[in-house]
Amino acid sequence: MTELKKTPPVLKLEDVAVAYKVRGGEIEAVQHVSFEINRGETLGIVGESGCGKSTLAWAVLNFLGNNGYVKRGSIKFQGQELVGVTGENLRRLRGDQIAMVYQDPMQALNPSMRLGDQMSEVLTVHRGMKKTEAEQRCMEMLDRVYMPDAANVMKRYPHQISGGQQQRVVIAMALLNDPALLIMDEPTTALDVTVEAAVLDLIADLRREFDTAIMYITHNLGVVARVSTRVAVMYAGELVERATVEEIYKNPRHPYTQGLIRCVPKLGADKARSVLYPIRGRVPPPNNRPVGCVFSPRCAFIQERCRDQRPQLRQLPDGSWVRCHFAEKIDPSSWTPYDEIKTPENLQRDLAGEPILEVKDLKKYYEVRGSSLKDVIGLGEKRYVKAVENASFQLTRGTTLGVVGESGCGKSTLIKTIIGLEDTTSGEAHFLGFDITNSIKDRDRSLIQELQMVFQNPDSTMNPSYTVGQQISRPMQHFKTVPKDQIRAEVIKLLDAMRLGANYYNRLPRQLSGGEKQRVGIARALASHPDLVLCDEPVSALDVSVQAAILNLLLEIQQEYNTTLVFIAHDLSVVRFFSDQVAVMYLGQVMEIGPAEDIYAPPYHPYSEALLSAVPIPDPTVKQKYIRLEGSVPSAINPPDGCRFHTRCPRRNLLPDGGKICETEIPPWREISAEHRIFCHLPIEILRDFAPVVTQSTEEI
Amino acid sequence: MLVKDYMTRHPIMVTPETPASKAQRLMIENQIRHLPVVGSGKRLQGLITRERLRVPPTDLGSLNIWEISRLLSDLQAKDVMIKRIDLVTIAPDISLEHAAHIMIQNKVGCLPVVEDEIVVGIISEVDMLAELFELLGGNVAGVRVTIRVPDQIGEFAKITSAIAAKNWGIYASGGVPAPKMPGFWDVVVKVREVPRDDLVAVLKSISGHKVIDVRECTD
Repeated sequence: MTELKKTPPVLKLEDVAVAYKVRGGEIEAVQHVSFEINRGETLGIVGESGCGKSTLAWAVLNFLGNNGYVKRGSIKFQGQELVGVTGENLRRLRGDQIAMVYQDPMQALNPSMRLGDQMSEVLTVHRGMKKTEAEQRCMEMLDRVYMPDAANVMKRYPHQISGGQQQRVVIAMALLNDPALLIMDEPTTALDVTVEAAVLDLIADLRREFDTAIMYITHNLGVVARVSTRVAVMYAGELVERATVEEIYKNPRHPYTQGLIRCVPKLGADKARSVLYPIRGRVPPPNNRPVGCVFSPRCAFIQERCRDQRPQLRQLPDGSWVRCHFAEKIDPSSWTPYDEIKTPENLQRDLAGEPILEVKDLKKYYEVRGSSLKDVIGLGEKRYVKAVENASFQLTRGTTLGVVGESGCGKSTLIKTIIGLEDTTSGEAHFLGFDITNSIKDRDRSLIQELQMVFQNPDSTMNPSYTVGQQISRPMQHFKTVPKDQIRAEVIKLLDAMRLGANYYNRLPRQLSGGEKQRVGIARALASHPDLVLCDEPVSALDVSVQAAILNLLLEIQQEYNTTLVFIAHDLSVVRFFSDQVAVMYLGQVMEIGPAEDIYAPPYHPYSEALLSAVPIPDPTVKQKYIRLEGSVPSAINPPDGCRFHTRCPRRNLLPDGGKICETEIPPWREISAEHRIFCHLPIEILRDFAPVVTQSTEEI
Repeated sequence: MLVKDYMTRHPIMVTPETPASKAQRLMIENQIRHLPVVGSGKRLQGLITRERLRVPPTDLGSLNIWEISRLLSDLQAKDVMIKRIDLVTIAPDISLEHAAHIMIQNKVGCLPVVEDEIVVGIISEVDMLAELFELLGGNVAGVRVTIRVPDQIGEFAKITSAIAAKNWGIYASGGVPAPKMPGFWDVVVKVREVPRDDLVAVLKSISGHKVIDVRECTD
């Protein structure tokens, strides 16, 4: 039907340049961007941070702020020019025809208004609808976005619902006025994989149902593969490639696109085949772009022409658009890794060696104080948040344990307990034979030295007034691992290992990029030559190419120093790439633990199965089983009886009586092999029968 | 087959204050023949058609060239549009044949689709023709046969069961009272991937039915 009738594009950008006025001139953040979005189509815009993706989105809505403006080109919405539209017309467009959804739903919602009130405001203000009628419409829309218990949600405040639900409210709000164009700027980046999967499904459904054109901005190649019909790749403010989603992944033409795809670990491929190749260098700042091709300094196929002549975006015979002089001649298979980028061999290590860390039935409860009088004088019943419940595992020297799970499942608490930032409620934990259930205050200095941590956010864990050298040398002075006169040499040696170089010694944290800061964080953790390094989401805040570099670095260091790692991440593809052993946690309970390869293949715990089916995979040819968990993670103060997962388990009806036993009895550990255990009532035979979640399509790429 | 399935969602629209010249340019550039005029909240206020923008030839001679530009520059969408009270509209949840009936009766080529006075789409004769095209399987290759059958219950079933008995599938079908032949119906069926002569032979063998037209279409 849609093929039959040709309709004009909803949004059409022609040679757009966006500039910001700054002190001493102007910066062109975005240049030469042209694309179209048709109705019922999703255009995914990908690229590293600082490539001008968000600037482009703001330019469409004229949200650029006081110093930004569209310098050249035209932005046409439904055939009408948007550049220069102001005042009442702009307000009307924003409210009636174009809607936007941002990354953080909490910032889009007014915390002091009930959700029902802020939603119906859209209708009463823009459409002059009556209050009761508006509320009715809002309720219908909440049902449309699969919000459980919509009537009740309308009466709540934003902080009373979960992040995924907040994002659904924001999406519902954006759709209330039936917009022709929906701009989504990283709408799922802040959400858990399971919630992300549900939101992405929702976006795809709504696009079909409402015929809305969607401009979808993200840095995650997996998400793009799942939602988009076409993809535009941006680099340093320019559009470098534009093609259908199948073409981009099967046959990337631009060297940058090829590089991006080489950076991400793939869940579909096996571990031995997945090697990450980071792109060398980094995105040039907008005021210092090369004269020729913007990507030339980082390109492996650079020729003389690329240095002094800027390529145009041109169409190839197969219909995709690319900005490269040599797109037809470049054969991605002829690409060889750069000499300076080492890609450490990613071997499966032996798990049967000497155990370095043994944890048995570890528990961590936090006491919750009530606010009633009884609680205040200490007579009330004590309640606990059961953050970690009976965690047991062993870690062999030189191996990596990956910990995965949704937010709030106790991943971070587990490693904080191990490192001693939190004391243990009960259970045993031995590190090199020493008991480590006590608080860090009571620990021996030599023990602290052997246990170090890398944090998620390098910004907030570095003293902004200390230079890089000082940051790294502090643990050396403290633990006296290095004689005083050799500290500087040792720090420089570490910096070299991190590929930062001696010239970073005197820099301050603010002079570093995100990836460099994380390298300094890792160097600091390694400074005392620890035996065990605990990494709490060390790469989640980083761009894919930087992430690849950091992961390779960690692998290399692990091989060189034989360091043992505990690695927390919510990205299951990263964990698979990195770990020898994986523990899946849910509500403080380890649900499944075993060698990495076994976790990602049947038999699965039903929760691991659901997590795997939710991971966005950057390859549209890979088939994934469709399993979506309903509802959100229950409160840890009052975890469900029996199996903690029973309230959301999609597999419990395989048991007699619809899984009554799951509600009352704590499940047994099913031993699949010596190392692989699953915490579930389902017998091993049934667990084994689960089909693999991820199947490579037979078609060879 | 409801209006909401075949209408064009998110049509291009203008405000009443848009200059008529801009509205005209929008219609030409985007090759559209109908332009809804909406106020705040996409409330329908009127409709501009290409006819409304046409200057009658008799007026052409009387206009002074200096006057033209002055007149045109002042002209706004609200001055040239068909006003809301003179417009026929439709709701999205209406059957297509009902919409066609309204269009025939009012002799209009397009109906704005409104829900509580808010424009949610537009349906034109082209959308109707698109439906007819799809209904009769215009876009697939196959054999299209027209059979004249008596106006009795059970005649269509004879055709379908004869085709089903051969393990063929009907891709599209339709029936209308035979023109100028009271007591008969003309039934059109389209069958894919079938030898033309075999199909005709099977249909001819049904007593009381007359094959009146056979044609093979390629896509």
